[in-house]
Amino acid sequence: MDEFDDNEIGRLLRLKKYEQPPPGYFENFLHEFHRRQRDELLRQPLWKIALGRAQDFMMSLNVARLASYPVAATAVMLCAAVISLKVYQSPTTPTVARLAPIVPAQSANDGGWSLATPVSTRITVSQPRSHLSTHRAATPTRYVLDSMPVSYESSLRF
Amino acid sequence: MDQPRIDEDQQLVARTQDGDAGAFDQLVVKYTPRLYGLVYNMTSNHEDTNDLLQDIFSKAYKSIRGFRGKSSFYTWIHSISVNMTLNFLKKRGRRFHMSLDDVDAGIQNDKEFLEVTQTSSPVREADLSELQRRLNEAMMKLSDEHRAVVTMFHIQGMPHAEISKILNVSEGTVRSRLFYANRQLQNYLDEFRKDPVT
Repeated sequence: MDEFDDNEIGRLLRLKKYEQPPPGYFENFLHEFHRRQRDELLRQPLWKIALGRAQDFMMSLNVARLASYPVAATAVMLCAAVISLKVYQSPTTPTVARLAPIVPAQSANDGGWSLATPVSTRITVSQPRSHLSTHRAATPTRYVLDSMPVSYESSLRF
Repeated sequence: MDQPRIDEDQQLVARTQDGDAGAFDQLVVKYTPRLYGLVYNMTSNHEDTNDLLQDIFSKAYKSIRGFRGKSSFYTWIHSISVNMTLNFLKKRGRRFHMSLDDVDAGIQNDKEFLEVTQTSSPVREADLSELQRRLNEAMMKLSDEHRAVVTMFHIQGMPHAEISKILNVSEGTVRSRLFYANRQLQNYLDEFRKDPVT
Protein backbone atom coordinates (compact mmCIF):
# COMPACT_ATOMS: atom_id res chain seq x y z
CA MET A 1 0.00 0.00 0.00
CA ASP A 2 1.78 3.16 -1.18
CA GLU A 3 -0.92 5.73 -0.47
CA PHE A 4 -1.20 7.30 2.94
CA ASP A 5 -4.61 6.85 4.47
CA ASP A 6 -5.81 8.46 7.70
CA ASN A 7 -4.52 5.61 9.84
CA GLU A 8 -1.11 5.70 8.28
CA ILE A 9 -0.89 9.46 8.65
CA GLY A 10 -1.82 9.04 12.27
CA ARG A 11 0.86 6.42 12.78
CA LEU A 12 3.49 8.55 11.03
CA LEU A 13 2.61 11.58 13.12
CA ARG A 14 2.71 9.59 16.33
CA LEU A 15 6.35 8.86 15.53
CA LYS A 16 7.05 12.54 16.06
CA LYS A 17 6.88 11.92 19.78
CA TYR A 18 10.36 10.45 19.40
CA GLU A 19 11.70 13.89 18.55
CA GLN A 20 13.17 14.77 21.90
CA PRO A 21 15.16 17.75 23.23
CA PRO A 22 18.81 17.27 24.21
CA PRO A 23 19.49 15.02 27.20
CA GLY A 24 19.13 16.83 30.51
CA TYR A 25 16.84 19.48 29.05
CA PHE A 26 13.86 18.62 31.24
CA GLU A 27 16.04 18.28 34.33
CA ASN A 28 17.46 21.78 33.80
CA PHE A 29 14.19 23.37 32.79
CA LEU A 30 13.03 24.09 36.35
CA HIS A 31 16.39 25.63 37.25
CA GLU A 32 16.20 27.83 34.16
CA PHE A 33 12.63 28.76 35.06
CA HIS A 34 13.69 29.92 38.54
CA ARG A 35 16.58 31.90 37.07
CA ARG A 36 14.29 33.71 34.63
CA GLN A 37 11.77 34.45 37.36
CA ARG A 38 14.49 36.02 39.49
CA ASP A 39 15.75 38.09 36.55
CA GLU A 40 12.25 39.27 35.80
CA LEU A 41 11.73 40.23 39.43
CA LEU A 42 14.94 42.25 39.49
CA ARG A 43 13.95 44.13 36.36
CA GLN A 44 10.63 45.22 37.85
CA PRO A 45 10.33 48.71 39.31
CA LEU A 46 10.10 48.95 43.08
CA TRP A 47 6.49 50.15 43.13
CA LYS A 48 5.40 47.14 41.12
CA ILE A 49 7.09 44.75 43.52
CA ALA A 50 5.49 46.57 46.46
CA LEU A 51 2.09 46.40 44.80
CA GLY A 52 2.51 42.69 44.20
CA ARG A 53 3.55 42.12 47.81
CA ALA A 54 0.53 44.09 49.02
CA GLN A 55 -1.76 42.03 46.82
CA ASP A 56 -0.19 38.83 48.11
CA PHE A 57 -0.65 40.03 51.67
CA MET A 58 -4.31 40.82 51.07
CA MET A 59 -4.85 37.46 49.45
CA SER A 60 -3.11 35.68 52.32
CA LEU A 61 -5.56 37.32 54.72
CA ASN A 62 -8.32 35.71 52.72
CA VAL A 63 -9.98 39.02 52.10
CA ALA A 64 -11.07 38.22 48.62
CA ARG A 65 -14.60 38.96 49.68
CA LEU A 66 -13.46 42.40 50.71
CA ALA A 67 -12.25 43.08 47.22
CA SER A 68 -15.49 44.92 46.56
CA TYR A 69 -14.88 47.29 49.48
CA PRO A 70 -12.39 49.49 47.66
CA VAL A 71 -14.87 49.78 44.82
CA ALA A 72 -17.67 50.67 47.22
CA ALA A 73 -15.48 53.17 49.05
CA THR A 74 -14.49 54.78 45.77
CA ALA A 75 -18.13 55.01 44.74
CA VAL A 76 -19.07 56.65 48.04
CA MET A 77 -16.23 59.13 47.71
CA LEU A 78 -17.25 59.94 44.16
CA CYS A 79 -20.85 60.51 45.25
CA ALA A 80 -19.70 62.73 48.09
CA ALA A 81 -17.52 64.72 45.72
CA VAL A 82 -20.37 65.20 43.26
CA ILE A 83 -22.81 66.25 45.99
CA SER A 84 -20.36 68.70 47.52
CA LEU A 85 -19.67 70.21 44.12
CA LYS A 86 -23.40 70.68 43.58
CA VAL A 87 -23.77 72.33 46.97
CA TYR A 88 -20.95 74.75 46.39
CA GLN A 89 -22.10 75.61 42.91
CA SER A 90 -25.75 76.30 43.86
CA PRO A 91 -26.82 80.00 43.71
CA THR A 92 -25.96 81.78 46.91
CA THR A 93 -28.38 83.95 48.81
CA PRO A 94 -27.89 87.57 47.82
CA THR A 95 -26.23 89.62 50.49
CA VAL A 96 -26.84 93.02 49.08
CA ALA A 97 -29.59 95.32 50.17
CA ARG A 98 -32.40 96.13 47.91
CA LEU A 99 -31.92 99.32 46.06
CA ALA A 100 -34.21 102.10 47.00
CA PRO A 101 -35.78 103.98 44.17
CA ILE A 102 -33.72 106.96 43.20
CA VAL A 103 -36.68 109.16 42.45
CA PRO A 104 -39.25 109.54 45.19
CA ALA A 105 -42.48 108.18 43.99
CA GLN A 106 -44.71 110.17 46.20
CA SER A 107 -44.42 113.18 48.31
CA ALA A 108 -45.75 113.23 51.82
CA ASN A 109 -47.99 116.13 51.36
CA ASP A 110 -49.12 115.37 47.83
CA GLY A 111 -48.63 118.89 47.01
CA GLY A 112 -45.66 118.47 44.94
CA TRP A 113 -42.36 120.05 45.56
CA SER A 114 -41.99 123.06 47.69
CA LEU A 115 -38.98 124.77 49.05
CA ALA A 116 -40.46 124.57 52.50
CA THR A 117 -40.25 120.92 52.60
CA PRO A 118 -36.89 119.84 53.79
CA VAL A 119 -35.37 117.11 51.85
CA SER A 120 -34.41 115.24 54.91
CA THR A 121 -37.99 114.86 56.00
CA ARG A 122 -39.17 113.41 52.79
CA ILE A 123 -40.48 110.00 53.23
CA THR A 124 -39.92 107.75 50.35
CA VAL A 125 -41.76 104.62 49.75
CA SER A 126 -39.99 102.00 47.93
CA GLN A 127 -41.96 100.41 45.23
CA PRO A 128 -41.23 97.01 43.99
CA ARG A 129 -39.88 97.07 40.54
CA SER A 130 -41.62 94.09 39.29
CA HIS A 131 -40.38 94.53 35.77
CA LEU A 132 -36.92 93.64 36.93
CA SER A 133 -37.49 90.02 37.42
CA THR A 134 -34.34 88.51 38.74
CA HIS A 135 -33.80 85.88 41.37
CA ARG A 136 -33.24 88.68 43.81
CA ALA A 137 -36.80 89.92 43.51
CA ALA A 138 -38.14 87.25 45.81
CA THR A 139 -35.72 87.89 48.58
CA PRO A 140 -36.77 90.01 51.54
CA THR A 141 -35.54 93.50 51.89
CA ARG A 142 -32.27 93.76 53.67
CA TYR A 143 -30.29 96.62 54.93
CA VAL A 144 -26.62 96.98 54.92
CA LEU A 145 -25.24 98.07 58.23
CA ASP A 146 -21.82 99.42 58.80
CA SER A 147 -19.52 97.00 60.36
CA MET A 148 -18.98 99.38 63.26
CA PRO A 149 -21.82 101.35 64.87
CA VAL A 150 -21.54 105.09 64.59
CA SER A 151 -21.49 105.47 68.34
CA TYR A 152 -18.31 103.49 68.50
CA GLU A 153 -16.51 105.66 66.06
CA SER A 154 -13.80 107.61 67.62
CA SER A 155 -14.08 111.32 67.78
CA LEU A 156 -12.26 113.53 65.44
CA ARG A 157 -8.62 113.09 65.38
CA PHE A 158 -6.13 115.68 64.46
CA MET B 1 -7.84 11.99 32.31
CA ASP B 2 -7.83 9.84 35.37
CA GLN B 3 -9.27 10.97 38.68
CA PRO B 4 -6.08 10.65 40.79
CA ARG B 5 -4.24 12.95 38.42
CA ILE B 6 -6.93 15.62 38.75
CA ASP B 7 -6.99 15.30 42.53
CA GLU B 8 -3.24 15.56 42.71
CA ASP B 9 -3.26 18.62 40.47
CA GLN B 10 -6.01 20.22 42.54
CA GLN B 11 -3.99 19.76 45.69
CA LEU B 12 -0.89 21.23 44.08
CA VAL B 13 -2.88 24.17 42.73
CA ALA B 14 -4.44 24.82 46.14
CA ARG B 15 -1.03 24.71 47.78
CA THR B 16 0.36 27.09 45.17
CA GLN B 17 -2.52 29.46 45.77
CA ASP B 18 -1.66 29.36 49.46
CA GLY B 19 1.85 30.53 48.61
CA ASP B 20 3.71 27.22 48.38
CA ALA B 21 6.04 27.82 45.41
CA GLY B 22 7.35 24.28 45.71
CA ALA B 23 3.93 22.94 44.76
CA PHE B 24 4.06 24.91 41.54
CA ASP B 25 7.53 23.50 40.86
CA GLN B 26 5.97 20.04 41.00
CA LEU B 27 3.38 21.09 38.43
CA VAL B 28 6.16 22.47 36.21
CA VAL B 29 8.14 19.26 36.41
CA LYS B 30 5.04 17.20 35.73
CA TYR B 31 3.77 19.14 32.71
CA THR B 32 7.00 20.25 31.04
CA PRO B 33 7.53 17.15 28.82
CA ARG B 34 3.92 17.11 27.67
CA LEU B 35 3.69 20.82 26.97
CA TYR B 36 7.09 20.75 25.32
CA GLY B 37 5.71 18.23 22.82
CA LEU B 38 2.66 20.36 22.20
CA VAL B 39 4.56 23.59 21.58
CA TYR B 40 7.44 21.96 19.72
CA ASN B 41 5.15 20.22 17.24
CA MET B 42 3.36 23.50 16.62
CA THR B 43 6.53 25.53 16.08
CA SER B 44 9.07 22.98 14.74
CA ASN B 45 11.75 24.97 16.50
CA HIS B 46 13.49 23.96 19.72
CA GLU B 47 14.65 27.44 20.79
CA ASP B 48 11.24 29.01 20.22
CA THR B 49 9.69 26.15 22.15
CA ASN B 50 12.01 26.68 25.08
CA ASP B 51 11.28 30.42 25.28
CA LEU B 52 7.56 29.89 24.89
CA LEU B 53 7.47 27.22 27.55
CA GLN B 54 9.20 29.52 30.03
CA ASP B 55 6.68 32.26 29.24
CA ILE B 56 3.78 29.82 29.56
CA PHE B 57 4.76 28.68 33.05
CA SER B 58 5.52 32.24 34.07
CA LYS B 59 2.08 33.35 32.97
CA ALA B 60 0.47 30.35 34.65
CA TYR B 61 2.22 31.17 37.93
CA LYS B 62 1.05 34.77 37.81
CA SER B 63 -2.51 33.77 36.96
CA ILE B 64 -2.92 30.77 39.21
CA ARG B 65 -4.48 32.79 42.03
CA GLY B 66 -7.33 33.52 39.67
CA PHE B 67 -7.75 29.85 38.74
CA ARG B 68 -11.08 28.83 40.26
CA GLY B 69 -11.11 25.22 39.10
CA LYS B 70 -13.96 25.54 36.61
CA SER B 71 -11.85 23.33 34.35
CA SER B 72 -9.07 20.97 35.34
CA PHE B 73 -5.54 22.34 35.66
CA TYR B 74 -4.63 20.07 32.76
CA THR B 75 -7.14 21.80 30.47
CA TRP B 76 -6.26 25.24 31.83
CA ILE B 77 -2.50 24.94 31.30
CA HIS B 78 -3.01 23.43 27.85
CA SER B 79 -5.31 26.32 26.90
CA ILE B 80 -2.68 28.84 27.97
CA SER B 81 -0.05 26.94 25.99
CA VAL B 82 -2.08 26.71 22.79
CA ASN B 83 -3.21 30.34 22.92
CA MET B 84 0.26 31.68 23.60
CA THR B 85 1.76 29.50 20.88
CA LEU B 86 -0.87 30.59 18.35
CA ASN B 87 -0.18 34.24 19.22
CA PHE B 88 3.53 33.65 18.83
CA LEU B 89 3.06 31.96 15.45
CA LYS B 90 0.97 34.87 14.21
CA LYS B 91 3.79 37.25 15.10
CA ARG B 92 6.47 34.99 13.68
CA GLY B 93 4.72 34.69 10.34
CA ARG B 94 6.14 32.59 7.58
CA ARG B 95 9.75 33.57 8.05
CA PHE B 96 11.29 30.96 10.25
CA HIS B 97 13.65 28.04 10.12
CA MET B 98 13.10 24.59 11.48
CA SER B 99 15.26 23.64 14.43
CA LEU B 100 14.41 20.02 14.99
CA ASP B 101 15.21 17.83 17.91
CA ASP B 102 16.99 14.56 17.38
CA VAL B 103 14.88 11.48 16.89
CA ASP B 104 15.25 9.20 19.85
CA ALA B 105 16.80 5.85 19.06
CA GLY B 106 13.87 4.16 20.72
CA ILE B 107 11.86 4.68 17.54
CA GLN B 108 13.61 1.69 15.99
CA ASN B 109 11.85 -0.57 18.43
CA ASP B 110 8.47 1.12 18.18
CA LYS B 111 5.77 -1.24 17.00
CA GLU B 112 4.08 1.40 14.90
CA PHE B 113 7.34 2.42 13.28
CA LEU B 114 8.02 -1.18 12.32
CA GLU B 115 4.52 -1.47 10.87
CA VAL B 116 4.88 1.74 8.87
CA THR B 117 8.23 0.74 7.47
CA GLN B 118 6.87 -2.65 6.51
CA THR B 119 3.72 -1.42 4.79
CA SER B 120 4.84 1.86 3.25
CA SER B 121 7.55 1.75 0.63
CA PRO B 122 8.38 5.51 0.78
CA VAL B 123 8.97 5.29 4.51
CA ARG B 124 10.96 2.11 4.05
CA GLU B 125 13.19 3.75 1.47
CA ALA B 126 13.73 7.04 3.28
CA ASP B 127 16.11 7.36 6.17
CA LEU B 128 14.88 8.61 9.54
CA SER B 129 16.05 12.21 9.20
CA GLU B 130 14.43 12.47 5.78
CA LEU B 131 11.19 11.11 7.17
CA GLN B 132 11.36 13.60 10.03
CA ARG B 133 12.00 16.51 7.68
CA ARG B 134 9.10 15.52 5.43
CA LEU B 135 6.71 15.16 8.30
CA ASN B 136 7.65 18.52 9.78
CA GLU B 137 7.42 20.25 6.42
CA ALA B 138 3.99 18.80 5.88
CA MET B 139 2.92 19.92 9.35
CA MET B 140 4.20 23.43 8.80
CA LYS B 141 2.15 23.72 5.63
CA LEU B 142 -1.01 23.44 7.69
CA SER B 143 -2.59 26.52 9.20
CA ASP B 144 -1.69 27.16 12.83
CA GLU B 145 -5.16 26.16 14.06
CA HIS B 146 -5.15 22.92 12.05
CA ARG B 147 -1.67 22.08 13.25
CA ALA B 148 -2.78 22.55 16.83
CA VAL B 149 -5.60 20.05 16.37
CA VAL B 150 -3.37 17.54 14.57
CA THR B 151 -0.71 17.83 17.27
CA MET B 152 -3.15 17.27 20.10
CA PHE B 153 -5.04 14.43 18.41
CA HIS B 154 -2.45 12.45 16.48
CA ILE B 155 0.75 13.16 18.39
CA GLN B 156 -0.48 13.68 21.94
CA GLY B 157 -3.40 11.29 21.68
CA MET B 158 -6.04 13.59 23.20
CA PRO B 159 -9.71 12.82 22.66
CA HIS B 160 -11.90 15.21 20.66
CA ALA B 161 -13.77 16.32 23.77
CA GLU B 162 -10.59 17.38 25.54
CA ILE B 163 -9.34 19.27 22.48
CA SER B 164 -12.65 21.09 22.17
CA LYS B 165 -12.38 22.22 25.81
CA ILE B 166 -8.81 23.42 25.35
CA LEU B 167 -9.59 25.33 22.17
CA ASN B 168 -13.00 26.43 23.42
CA VAL B 169 -14.69 25.24 20.22
CA SER B 170 -17.28 22.55 19.59
CA GLU B 171 -16.33 18.92 19.07
CA GLY B 172 -17.76 19.24 15.56
CA THR B 173 -15.27 21.99 14.83
CA VAL B 174 -12.45 19.81 16.12
CA ARG B 175 -13.53 16.90 13.90
CA SER B 176 -13.93 19.18 10.90
CA ARG B 177 -10.48 20.70 11.37
CA LEU B 178 -8.99 17.26 11.79
CA PHE B 179 -10.65 15.96 8.63
CA TYR B 180 -9.46 18.93 6.60
CA ALA B 181 -5.94 18.71 8.03
CA ASN B 182 -5.73 14.99 7.23
CA ARG B 183 -6.69 15.66 3.62
CA GLN B 184 -4.00 18.30 3.35
CA LEU B 185 -1.40 16.07 4.94
CA GLN B 186 -2.33 13.30 2.51
CA ASN B 187 -1.67 15.65 -0.39
CA TYR B 188 1.65 16.84 0.99
CA LEU B 189 2.84 13.38 1.88
CA ASP B 190 1.72 12.05 -1.49
CA GLU B 191 4.66 13.92 -2.97
CA PHE B 192 6.83 12.05 -0.52
CA ARG B 193 5.29 8.80 -1.79
CA LYS B 194 6.10 9.69 -5.38
CA ASP B 195 9.60 10.93 -4.67
CA PRO B 196 10.78 9.48 -1.33
CA VAL B 197 14.49 10.29 -1.42
CA THR B 198 14.98 13.78 -2.81
